[in-house]
Order: sequence, then structure tokens, then C-alpha cells
Amino acid sequence: MEEISLHFFEEDCNGCHACEIACKQEHGLGVGPQLIRVIEKSPLFIPVYCHHCEDPPCGDACPVEAITRDERGIVLINEELCTGCKACVEACPYGAMQYDEDRELAVKCDLCYERLEMGEEPACSLVCPAHCIAWGDPKDFSN
Amino acid sequence: MEEVKKIRTVCRSCHGECGVIAHVKDGKVVKVEGDPNHPISHGTMCAKGLAITQLAYHPDRILHPMKKVGEKLSGEWERITWDEALDTIATKFQAVIDKYGPEYIVVGQGTGRDYESHLYRFANQLGTPNVLTAGHFCYVSRVSSSLITCGNLPVVDYYINEPKCIVIWGTNPMWTNPDEYTGENFMRALKNGAKLINVDPRKSFYAGRADLWLQIRPGTDGALAFGFHHVIIEEELYDKDFVENYSHGWDAFKERVMKDYPLEKVQEITWIDKELIRKAARMYATTKPAAIQWGVPTEESINCTDFTRTAIGLMGITGNLDAPGGNALFVNPPTRTVAEFSRHKDLSKEVLAKRLGGEQFKLGARVAFINPKKAWDSIVYGEPYQLKAGLLCGTNPVVTRANAREAYEALKKIGFLVVIDHFMTPTAELADIFLPAGTWLEQNHVASNWKRHGYAFARQKCCEIGEAWQDHKIFQELGKRMGQEWWPTVEDGLDYLLEPSGLTFEQFKEKGYLQGEMVYHKYKERGFSTPTRKLELWSTILEKWGRDPLPKYVEVPESPYSTPEVAKKYPYIFNSGLRTPTYFHSAGRMIPLLREIRPDPIVEVHPETAKKHGIEDGQWIYIESPRGRIKQRAKLYDGIDPRVVTSEHGWWFPEIKDPGHGWEISNANILTDNAFETCDPNMGSTNVRVCLCNIYPCENE
Repeated sequence: MEEISLHFFEEDCNGCHACEIACKQEHGLGVGPQLIRVIEKSPLFIPVYCHHCEDPPCGDACPVEAITRDERGIVLINEELCTGCKACVEACPYGAMQYDEDRELAVKCDLCYERLEMGEEPACSLVCPAHCIAWGDPKDFSN
Repeated sequence: MEEVKKIRTVCRSCHGECGVIAHVKDGKVVKVEGDPNHPISHGTMCAKGLAITQLAYHPDRILHPMKKVGEKLSGEWERITWDEALDTIATKFQAVIDKYGPEYIVVGQGTGRDYESHLYRFANQLGTPNVLTAGHFCYVSRVSSSLITCGNLPVVDYYINEPKCIVIWGTNPMWTNPDEYTGENFMRALKNGAKLINVDPRKSFYAGRADLWLQIRPGTDGALAFGFHHVIIEEELYDKDFVENYSHGWDAFKERVMKDYPLEKVQEITWIDKELIRKAARMYATTKPAAIQWGVPTEESINCTDFTRTAIGLMGITGNLDAPGGNALFVNPPTRTVAEFSRHKDLSKEVLAKRLGGEQFKLGARVAFINPKKAWDSIVYGEPYQLKAGLLCGTNPVVTRANAREAYEALKKIGFLVVIDHFMTPTAELADIFLPAGTWLEQNHVASNWKRHGYAFARQKCCEIGEAWQDHKIFQELGKRMGQEWWPTVEDGLDYLLEPSGLTFEQFKEKGYLQGEMVYHKYKERGFSTPTRKLELWSTILEKWGRDPLPKYVEVPESPYSTPEVAKKYPYIFNSGLRTPTYFHSAGRMIPLLREIRPDPIVEVHPETAKKHGIEDGQWIYIESPRGRIKQRAKLYDGIDPRVVTSEHGWWFPEIKDPGHGWEISNANILTDNAFETCDPNMGSTNVRVCLCNIYPCENE
């Protein structure tokens, strides 16, 4: 099976934040956790997002093995196992791992796997007016 | 529980009208996403549109009519029925008409919310020429200037062809999706290799990506446009056939450009190096096709009319006007025009003569709006007569109009005021009757039918919330109570709007959109729709009115050059043009997901300037002009000129529950001026952008 991941073509990101709202809506999140976010450093914009690392440090840090990488390369968190210890939040080198204060759980980008299963693209990628969010085989991101 | 139903509609959180798929479950919209099949947005959306469910189902949203029961600023309201609300308004309005005349009622709206056809139909049948809109400095003003110059509004042809050189002039199409545009189309052209020239006082995303960035002194766009002309004329880069055969007044125009706008002078005015201006003008004139996408700062100016005319001149003389991939004059689909639907012809000459400021701001009057200060002066001083009642829809002038304190005082004083909105805004608190409007999720409409990019889109109702009515229905039902001609239902009215297309609204919904059949270079066959059938660099209409028929640049009314005395105390140029991707003017501060991204009003200060005043990044600072003082949170940014301070506008604080809702705290328009001599002399556009200011840190904050 081909691996899939998420990638921003950073130079095209203009900081419109549409991806953030689309993501929150898709995952039913309110104020607080941001599975994807864009930091403004005008005239540049720095997207912060899960890279679905091959050897994910968040997974290594998790004491209860709640974070795993599935056969497609999507790093997922099992909420039933998560104890909310935040070790993964500390471990993520990208700042992508988030903590949901309301539910006292770690939360992260799941690449909208439910949408993928229905043949739809991830919510963030669909709405981006700059088309700077790519998903799919990481080998293609260099093109 | 019902299955999720997917309804195809179009957004109106800003102006782009992107395609939307609304997910509806048990009568409630649970999610919106982009419609990949929409012809101009292709599935993309912005933060404002995506956050619509948080607006529509916001706990503070008012979902039933109300009447004020206490004093004007008591904040004491009582729920009433639609019948009581509409009867009260109709009775009050009729009493004003009987005693004084219909012109004593002012009808107003804010930025276009796709109901102007209905608002004007109501106002025109009421018989009042006094319609107060944002059009005096936004969009309608460029339409009006375009009409007298080349007969239609030139729009960048991103849709059928594509420019190879784009001038992004004072606009941010990825954040604000202005009328006729969505950001995606600009970005596609850029990625396809279009050259980019960016005119902007601050180093934005576009400046970062541009081949040439022209860091302009705020408010001097008109002078820069003349600089472009100067180079193009001097280097003979213009299209001689066009100039000779399709323009009117070329020789006189050329003389003015060459005599009054040498590049040294343009450099002095605009602060842009003359060689950079030369490079930009050459790039624009020699890359084909090239297009100019210009933004609202050129309109919120004393030079509103003349900037648009000068810019259209550039499009014309370089052969880019109505050319594939240039600035096209699109052909609209065959729907009824707003003018016809709105019954503008109902107003007699005698009534039109009573339009406030109509004689002074003739170009504004030609497109049926009034200058706001004309309304405030009428209410406060009775000049030339006193407005007795008003109906304001989707507008918050105490935050968005120049010299906001004057707007506040006037609206506090008017005898009877109705406000239509979603929330209890600082303006709504001044009303006697509040009517709850539906959001775009609660609307059936032929969206974009008034635009000039050749499309009309089907917006269809996805849900009903509380007792809110779509604005169109409010105008219709109130109009019917006042004996006006309307239809039994909103949809019947839309059938009438669509009649020339041969479709009913039901059929239109199925189809999704209409597009006009495009023909380029129409002027070669039948000329432009102007009195001379030419592109009028020399306006025969302005000439007839005894105004200067040629465009010119007038210095910013309050600047280090025009008012050096004022500049001693207020040494910085205040530019209220810092936009956000999260809010549309004064809207949206109550939406949690948007406020999370932009919690505070931001003012950008150059680090050198900040140092002089002991201002640190993130600190709250005062910004003071001759008219007042506000505070915003400082963000140090070296992408602006140290002599300029750039702030956000539109701020009030819905979380502050007293009836003022913090309208004075961070409101950029506390600082701006609205004196008639600072307005565009033909259009009446107010300068809400640029004035002088000083800055200093807030203590203990």
C-alpha cells in the first residue's frame, strides 16, 4: 500500500487560516486545540502541522502506546487509551500535537481518514485557496 | 434522526460568493464545505465562510423582532411579533411621509450583502432618494467612475483567459475576496507564471512574491497612476491605434500627464523611487496581456473618481481593456438588471432634486447613494432639512464611517430608527425597533446578479433559524404593508428577476449558475457606452457639469505636506488599511473560532518608531489624531515605512455587554475625518483610510 502524508508548500501559504477553520469543523473542535495552524511572520506564513513522521516521536513518547502509525502511514491516536499525560505534546518537534482541555486528551491530525475512505480529500486541502496543502505519497511532494 | 442532506449554495460571508455544500441534519446546518464544482471557487473557501455555523447558531444572535422599551441607550428591549414590528414601522414611516414627505426617511445598508436590489426597490417605492450605503467609498464608486469612462467596470479576466502580468494595487485578494474575485483565481495565474507588480504600503504576501514591490505612501495611488502614464507616454509604449481611434481627449490628457506629473514629482509624492516606477510601468505596458486588480483604498480617498479613471486609462492605452486576459468588460447572463428590479425610474426629477448632497456629489447621486455626513448634518443641524426616520440594514456606521462620533450622535438623535441585523451591535442599540435577519444559509437568492464578472449563482436556503427572515423578505413584507408592489413570496420575486433567462428560481437552483456569453473587444464594433462612444480620458459628463474633465491627483487632505502644522503634533501617517483574513469590516468578532485567531485589534509600528516611543511588541498603545484617541495592540513590523502606522479597523467588543459594546475603544474611525472638503468632490467618498496621528504606550496595560 502506498504511504500518504500531508505537506504544505510554504511559499504559497498566505495566512488565510481557512485550513484551521475547516479542520476544526471537520473534527468538531472548539477554541483551543489546533490540529493545523499558521503562524504569521509577515510577509511569510509558517504552517504548523503533523508530518506523519515515519518514526513518530509522539508515539515513542507515549507511555501507553496510544499513538501508532497505520499501514498507510497515518499517525493516529487511540483516544480510549490516551491518559492525557501530554508527553506527546512535549515530544513533537513540529508543535503539531495538541491537547484538548475539555476532554483532557491529546488530539492530532488524522489526515481526515474518514473523508479519505469516502474518496474525498482532507478538509484543509479542499478549502485552501492557494492550493498549497498537498496530501498523498510523500515522494510526490518534491514535485 | 434524519440522514445528512447536502445542499448546494453560495457563501456571502465576504464578497467572493464561493460555492458551498451545506450539510443539514434535522433542519440544522452541521457543517459547510467548499463545492468543488463551483465555476469560480472550485471547492476553496475562506475562514469567514467556513465559520458560518458559529455565526448562525451563536447564542447571542437575536432571532425575533424587538422593540426598545427604555431610553435610547438603556439596552432595554422587549420581544414583539413580526406583525407588531412591521405595523409599527409602517405607521411611523407613513406619518413621516404624510407630515413631511418620503425624503425625510433615510434607508441604508453597509457593505453589499446581496439584497441591494430589494433595499432599493423598497426605498424607491417609498419615494425617498436618500439611500445611505457603503457604495460611496466602496465598489459602487468604482462602478460609477467606470461608467462615465468606458461604460462598464473592467474586471481582471481570470475566468476565461488569464493575465501574464498582474498589478495587485492596494488589495489582498486571498484574504478579502472582493466583488467579482476569489483568491484562488489570482493564485492560479501567479502559479502559471504571471509576473506580479504589487502596490502596497506594507510588505505583504504579495510584496514578498512580487517581481516589483512599490511601497507607496498611503493615499497617493492617483499620483502613481500618473507616473505609469508618464513612462508609457515618454517611451511610446502605448497602443497607437487604440489612442487614435477609441479614446477621447488623448492630447489634452497627454499634456496634463507630461506637464503636471514628471517622475521626479511622482517620486516625491509617492515615496517610490522613480526608476522603480519606470520599471513597473514598462513591465505592465510590455507584457501582454496585463491586468490591474485594484482595491478599496483607492476609493476611500479624495481621489476616488480620478484614480479609477486614470487606471482605466492605463488599461485602455496599453491595449488591455476588454482584451482576453486583460481587464475585461464581461457580458452578464440575461437576468433583470438591479436598476430595473429596483425601479430607480420611480423617482421623479422633483424627488431626485431633494437628494441630500445630490448637487454637490453628482457622480454619487448618479448611482443613487448619499454621502454619510450629509445624513448626519441633516439629522443634527436640520441642513437642509431634518431626516425624521431611518431604516438601516446590515450596517454598523458608528464603527465603519469616518468621524464615528458624529455618526453616533446623529443616530442617537434621529426620531425613529429601525435596524436589521443578526446581533445587537452598537448601532442596533440606538434603534427603536430591531428586526432579525437571516444569514446566507437562510436565503434564497440569485447571488451575484448585480456583479460584472459574467456570472449569477444560485443561493438556496439550507435552514430556518428562529423567527429570522432573509433581508429580501423583510423589505418585501414591509413594502407590502406600505402599499408597494411586490410578490406573494420572495421566490416569486426571484422568478421575475430571472425571467429574461427563461428560468424560474426552481430551475435555476437545479442549474446552479448562469454565465454570460463573452465577446471581447466589443468597442471595436460598437464603441464604449459613453457619450462619445470612446474611452473618455476627457469626461464629457464632468465637462457638462462644469467640473474638471481630466483626472488629477489631489494631495491627501491631512498629511505632512498638506497640513504641516497638524503634523507637528501628529507626526505619523495613520493608515487604517491593515486587513484580517478573519473579519469582514465590523463583522465577526463574536465568532469564537475567528476570535481565537485574531483576539485583539492590531496596529503595526515600525521597530525604529516603536523604540523612539518606548513601545514593545504586544503592548497596548494609544493612537491619537486631531479627532480622538483609541487603543490597539502594537505589533512591531519592519515591512512598513517608519513614518507610517498601520491599524485594523472595524473593532467593537461584543463581549462588553453595556449598550456601547466598546464601540469607542479601538475604533479606527474615531480618528478619521469626514469634512466635505476631504471627500471626493464628485463622488462624496469619505477618507476612512489616511490621516495624521501620534502614538504612545498605554500605561499599566
